[in-house]
Amino acid sequence: MISLLGVLAVLLAAGVLSARRWRRALTAPRRVLLTGGGTGGHVNPALAIAEAIKEREPDARFLYVGVAGKAEAVIVKRAGYPLAFVSSRGFPGMRPSPALVRFVATVGWGILQAAVILVRFRPHWVIATGGYVSAPIVSAAIFLRFLRVAPVRIYMHEQNSVPGQMNALLGRWADRVLLTFPQTLSYFPKNGVVVGYPVRHAIGAVPREEALQRLGFRLPPQRRVVFVFGGSQGARTINRALVEALGHLAEHRDRLFIIHGMGLARSEDYHAAEDTERLLRELYPDQTLDSFSDFYYRQDYFHNIADVYAVSDLVVCRSGAGSLNELARLGKPALLIPKANLPGDHQVMNARAMKQAGAAEVLFEDVLLADGRVEIRVDSRELASRILSLLDDEERLSQMALRSRGFLRRKATARILSELYQDRLYDNGYALQTVESGPPFLSNAQLLRRLQAAHASNPKDYDPTEVVGDLDDLTYYRHRAAALLASPSWQVRNVGVKLVGLTRYEAKVPALLHMLRDRTPVGRLKRLLGGDFEQVGFIRRNIVTALSVIGRFDSSVEAALLEALDDPYYEVRAEVCRVVPNFAQHLAGKDAWVEALLRRLRDPSFEVVVEAAKALGEVGVDGRALDALVGLKHAFHWQVRNAALMGIKRLLDRRVLRPCEEVLRDVNRFLLTAPDFRPTFTIRENYNAIVNLCRRGNMGREEARQGRSDLEVSRKDA
Amino acid sequence: MIFELGRILQEYSDLFSFLRLVNYLTFRAIMAALSAAVFMFVFSRSFIFHMHRLGFQDQERDTGLATHDKSGTPTMGGILIIGAVVFSLGLWGNWTSPFLLYPLIAMLWHGAMGFWDDYAKIRRGSGNRGMSERMKLLLQSLFSAGFAWAMVGPLSPVGPEMATRIYVPFIKYPLFSLHPVLYGIFIFLFVIFVSNAVNLTDGLDGLAITPSLFVVGVLGVFAYVEGNTIYSSYLFYPYLRGAGELTVFAAACVGAGLGFLWYNAYPAQIFMGDTGSLAIGGTMAVISVLLKQEFLFPILGGLFVAEALTSQIQDKIGVRWLGRRIFYRAPLHHNLQHKGIAETKVVIRLWIISGLLALMALATLKIR
Repeated sequence: MISLLGVLAVLLAAGVLSARRWRRALTAPRRVLLTGGGTGGHVNPALAIAEAIKEREPDARFLYVGVAGKAEAVIVKRAGYPLAFVSSRGFPGMRPSPALVRFVATVGWGILQAAVILVRFRPHWVIATGGYVSAPIVSAAIFLRFLRVAPVRIYMHEQNSVPGQMNALLGRWADRVLLTFPQTLSYFPKNGVVVGYPVRHAIGAVPREEALQRLGFRLPPQRRVVFVFGGSQGARTINRALVEALGHLAEHRDRLFIIHGMGLARSEDYHAAEDTERLLRELYPDQTLDSFSDFYYRQDYFHNIADVYAVSDLVVCRSGAGSLNELARLGKPALLIPKANLPGDHQVMNARAMKQAGAAEVLFEDVLLADGRVEIRVDSRELASRILSLLDDEERLSQMALRSRGFLRRKATARILSELYQDRLYDNGYALQTVESGPPFLSNAQLLRRLQAAHASNPKDYDPTEVVGDLDDLTYYRHRAAALLASPSWQVRNVGVKLVGLTRYEAKVPALLHMLRDRTPVGRLKRLLGGDFEQVGFIRRNIVTALSVIGRFDSSVEAALLEALDDPYYEVRAEVCRVVPNFAQHLAGKDAWVEALLRRLRDPSFEVVVEAAKALGEVGVDGRALDALVGLKHAFHWQVRNAALMGIKRLLDRRVLRPCEEVLRDVNRFLLTAPDFRPTFTIRENYNAIVNLCRRGNMGREEARQGRSDLEVSRKDA
Repeated sequence: MIFELGRILQEYSDLFSFLRLVNYLTFRAIMAALSAAVFMFVFSRSFIFHMHRLGFQDQERDTGLATHDKSGTPTMGGILIIGAVVFSLGLWGNWTSPFLLYPLIAMLWHGAMGFWDDYAKIRRGSGNRGMSERMKLLLQSLFSAGFAWAMVGPLSPVGPEMATRIYVPFIKYPLFSLHPVLYGIFIFLFVIFVSNAVNLTDGLDGLAITPSLFVVGVLGVFAYVEGNTIYSSYLFYPYLRGAGELTVFAAACVGAGLGFLWYNAYPAQIFMGDTGSLAIGGTMAVISVLLKQEFLFPILGGLFVAEALTSQIQDKIGVRWLGRRIFYRAPLHHNLQHKGIAETKVVIRLWIISGLLALMALATLKIR
């Protein structure tokens, strides 16, 4: 509180002194304050804009404000702009925590520093390109302007299709928010303009023949060329997937050629080239590897990337804003592999935007838990088949290329200058206001709620695609759900299990089965209090439910379920019995199952006995089931007796049992209370009767309407 | 009012000498119970229909049970209970006694809090989304902290010396004397625990009110003993001057509770709501503390303790931490229902248990 008041006081004092001087200073040569960074992706657009301004007004002065030790410290220095530092840090979320306190303190101090810098530099424009680095300057500028100290114009540039936290929060006070994607307009309806992505030295389109000359390696004629790379640093998942996919692609070596940019990463964590070479040697014997050279060429980094683009027919890469901009500029069809788990899932959103435009296809990363380590990977078989099917469909490729060309705004720097100088040379974006920006993705909790409701209301015809609306979105949700399965927190894994089930992600059934059979014990304290395995009881129970929702049945599922029937946690055992009817056509009469269920009738938990008795009615085929069920007539819990009756009834329904006097004699013993005991509550009954009548009436009318429209449709068809 | 009036009139003239009856605790207690019950009989009916018309009805909530839907019954019956107690104390209470004021403040504070909670539930149309848990805990803490501070400070109705002594059932003499700060923390937690326990118990028709009657009734007996020099020295209890006023208070509560049960019995026409359950819980806690019978509560209110513990163990340890259910369902009464015992049967069985526990608690009067 005190520090906040301090900030206010200092700002006020400085403001009063400098407001007039600032206004006078506006007639002097242009001064531009640039900020933004953390990563190169935020810095480079800022420098591109600066360069463009410099070209137009050579005597303009610049000041770049960043955070010490981040990307901007290196890049900006190399570019030769004066640099100042403020302190700032990423927003940890609203949850009260030490991190939040640190954040408030750091940013508060940063805003103070920023205010001093602003007052001393007195810029005409503040141009912020995102990242928490720019938060102090922008907040201070907004604040000073609010106090009428700073007659400054504030511009923000957003590179991605989902605005970063900083831009989303402060964007509304900027004079203009310069956007790369038209889809982002919905976030800034008042001051957003679509300008595209500014780059310093734009890659130009190169004629193919010219590029071929300069390539540096021989490209056989009549091949379709695929360029695969994971950004300048390289991406582990893409490199590995491609190396694995080579085996599948080798069959088609006579009609394709693959150019692989492995990346420059040389860090301890990942050495792109070394790792890739090692994997190549591991997977393929030497002579095979040598034979690959007639359809596969790899290199760390392509300095002549424009030439590589020029010769390639398809590009496989990440969906960062920079890459998409290059693709769009050159009009290349792409298979995008968005990096998962980024803030706001912005790569996924970028990829979705490009896909919606019809310019790309999307392939998601899979998060797996292998040997206790989280591993992110792309299915190589899927990658190979997607590449091949795209290459085969020439018409589609050319259409994608066309769409790609119109995907992002061109001449971004010129458009930005036109916004800065307000000369209306370009009409930026207002016409595009109508662009359909698909609905934002649901959070896991929202998705779960929606799917659960849909499943509860109609489990028979449940279809997750209908709930989500779009098959691609469903694919994304499935991958996101599967990623949760690798979380160290069981609560998160549990949500993952539920979502995998409700999205019917069949490919994850083996992973679910593995989790169901995983018997890693939890810590001793938890075991003392009744815990058992790392995959806690709820998870195992929900896996069983998920398996039933997914509905796939094979021997591995059967074996796992049979094993789960003896799980130490009662809810798992009960749940297995509960899903037996869903698999009844596969299980009926199987001896192992009848035996196991008969064993469950002696379960210590009555809930399991209840479910087992009902399940026996579904799978029983001989006298054993009937005898066992009749044997429950003296059970203490009436629900057990009730379930036994339900089981017997089911046996009768299934005609395993013929209705006869004998059954009647056995059944006679089941009631403990008088058979005509029936609690009555007439007013409720009458009320319920009316409610049911009205509801049914309503539904009847709906159905009639539906029927009529169906009739009309069929008439039209005829 | 009658208490004050009686005392004045009887001093004024021999004509009113029969009014010396008001000096007798037992008389005042019985009259307090009767007038509270009469208040309930007179006002309940119109109150219920008023609530019904206002739409102040119980909202649907998720209990995890298939056959449990109580939504639609008018709620906030706690207002009636509080009203009856205040009315009858107005007639028969000695308003200068701190032993009357402390529990009354507890009742009103918790009642207001519960009212807020109930109202939030009704407005949002969901039985699970009342006042936020944090807000509720904050308000409870505010009261408990204030009460704890008053108990160990100079405002203490039993004297700060006596307040920090720890009496345990079945043992004549105080075990030891806690440091005032420690004792303050102890009763702070105690009050929060008890008021929440009653709140959790209030889940079936008539389930919370009858055990509360037993508890408050027994506490009333203890108050009579401890407020009486002869009985307290005979039974080796600390003599608490003026504690007899708690008997009147307890009697008023019992009267109001009986009147409430009239309408709350299965199938209930009205629920006490959080307004009632928190108010009763807070009051019970404060009375136990004032009588130095904090450690009797686990026996006397064993049902409430069991309900609270099952609920907390299931939720905090089982569902949130271990990832499994420890009981089939929680709290206790839902567990019994889940096992297939009918609601009325569950309620009556729990009444029986709480009655037996109350008898055990009464036995500690002599066995020590």
